[in-house]
Amino acid sequence: MRELRFLLSLWKTNLLAVMEFRVSFISQIIGMMLNDGFYFIFWVIFFDRFETVGGWSLSDMFVVFGVTATAFGLVSFLFGNAFSLGDIIARGRLDYYLSLPRPALLHTLASRSIANGLGDVSYGILSYLVSGQSTAGGLGRFLLAVVLAAVVFVSFLVIVQSLAFWMGNSTAFGQLMLNAMITFALYPLGMFDGPLRFILLTVVPAALMGAVPAGFIIHLDWVNLGQLSLGAAGLLAAALFVFHAGLRRYESGSAIQVEV
Amino acid sequence: MKQLRKYWAIFVVQLLNSLAYPAELLWRSLAILLFMLVFTFLWRATYGSNQSMAGLTLNDTIWYLMLAETIELSRPRFARTIAEAVKDGSVAYLLNKPYDFILYQLAASGGDSVFRILLNALLGGTLVWALVGPPPGLPGWLLAFAAMLGAWLINFCLTALIGLLAFVTEDVAPFEWIYQKMIFILGGMLIPIDFYPEWLQDLARALPFSHLMYGPAKLFVRPEWGAFLELLAWQAAWVALLGGTLAISYQLGIRRLAINGG
Repeated sequence: MRELRFLLSLWKTNLLAVMEFRVSFISQIIGMMLNDGFYFIFWVIFFDRFETVGGWSLSDMFVVFGVTATAFGLVSFLFGNAFSLGDIIARGRLDYYLSLPRPALLHTLASRSIANGLGDVSYGILSYLVSGQSTAGGLGRFLLAVVLAAVVFVSFLVIVQSLAFWMGNSTAFGQLMLNAMITFALYPLGMFDGPLRFILLTVVPAALMGAVPAGFIIHLDWVNLGQLSLGAAGLLAAALFVFHAGLRRYESGSAIQVEV
Repeated sequence: MKQLRKYWAIFVVQLLNSLAYPAELLWRSLAILLFMLVFTFLWRATYGSNQSMAGLTLNDTIWYLMLAETIELSRPRFARTIAEAVKDGSVAYLLNKPYDFILYQLAASGGDSVFRILLNALLGGTLVWALVGPPPGLPGWLLAFAAMLGAWLINFCLTALIGLLAFVTEDVAPFEWIYQKMIFILGGMLIPIDFYPEWLQDLARALPFSHLMYGPAKLFVRPEWGAFLELLAWQAAWVALLGGTLAISYQLGIRRLAINGG
């Protein structure tokens, strides 16, 4: 409860900070919504010509896109430092968080909000609402699936970015992994088979961010919910383990005075 | 001639700089493997038992996408560098330097692109060869790489224009995102334009994005002299139009510049 209050006050401060430049704040949100919308035109053109691929239709893709964009946006806005954790570690800037009486990982992740994440969240919800598959029950499933997909995503980012404890500067590797996660999450799982399908459910768990939550929302598939819950819990545990194992190797950047 | 040597030197320095961190260059280039893997699975599932669609075989489509992805991943992204220089006023310090700011960016980003293009084409090409078979013949490579020069210049002009928008707006990032999506859709980066409905094909062909993406990629798999010369004419026209707009915009922007203290 104490940590939740701490998180809420961090998010409130972050929101006020990103709203300082109003025009930029609004243009980032609208710009991101347009960006997502333009990207989705690809699927509209594609399914206009081919109707289904790997058993997925345009309506299904609206849901896949909706859940992925919303989860991505939530993580961007609520845990914005998850994208730059590796850089923070490599530059010795964790000192600031370690010197304060709050959980270091939670504090680091939630100390930055990326404004355009709100654009992704807005677009994602809109994408689900216009999918033609939205119902009252479906909306409840959508919200649950989004939360679990966000846990999967933020945990994956923490694991990948924490490798900086061992590798030093791992920005390019982190970017590659982020690309992999997003790219594979936005395509129908039905078209992947063999070892790649297994990889997308485990090593790069993109399916747990897109296709699996979408399957639960669309078909009320309890197996999908089980996979998603298990995946989210496992990845969260792995993220905490990797970060704290890395923390034991961390060398101070003598940056306690630096306001991050 | 002396002017040219100056910018050539900037190009060479940046070319060597891009090799300073080979591991980083390699990590960044590995992204093409991800995209080509996804594209191959998507189009395999789409083609099914069809030999050819929209006049393209599966092999043509995947090699087309390999070249398109090479162009996309190698194109310089300096709009935010220009925008930052405009916003923090450091562009003012560049005005008294013995070079033109825009031509400096042209030479520097050119040097940045060379090894990225080669590495992306090498990695992407190796994977695609293993997945769908051999690449197009030598004429395809030669015509496509020649056309990539015009494509690169169109992208340079558009990117610099987006950067200069910082003279009138706080944040250029949304313009960059939307420009990228225009390349994805109207440029034919995610799907060859031949698959579009006719009205959209006409629209796409009338805009510069297809001449920087679809044009070279299609020549790669269908090398034809007529199409090559037509593309060069389109590219020359767009470079002249956009280059002129860029030069005028830069001069107008500099006049608006307010320098306080320093």
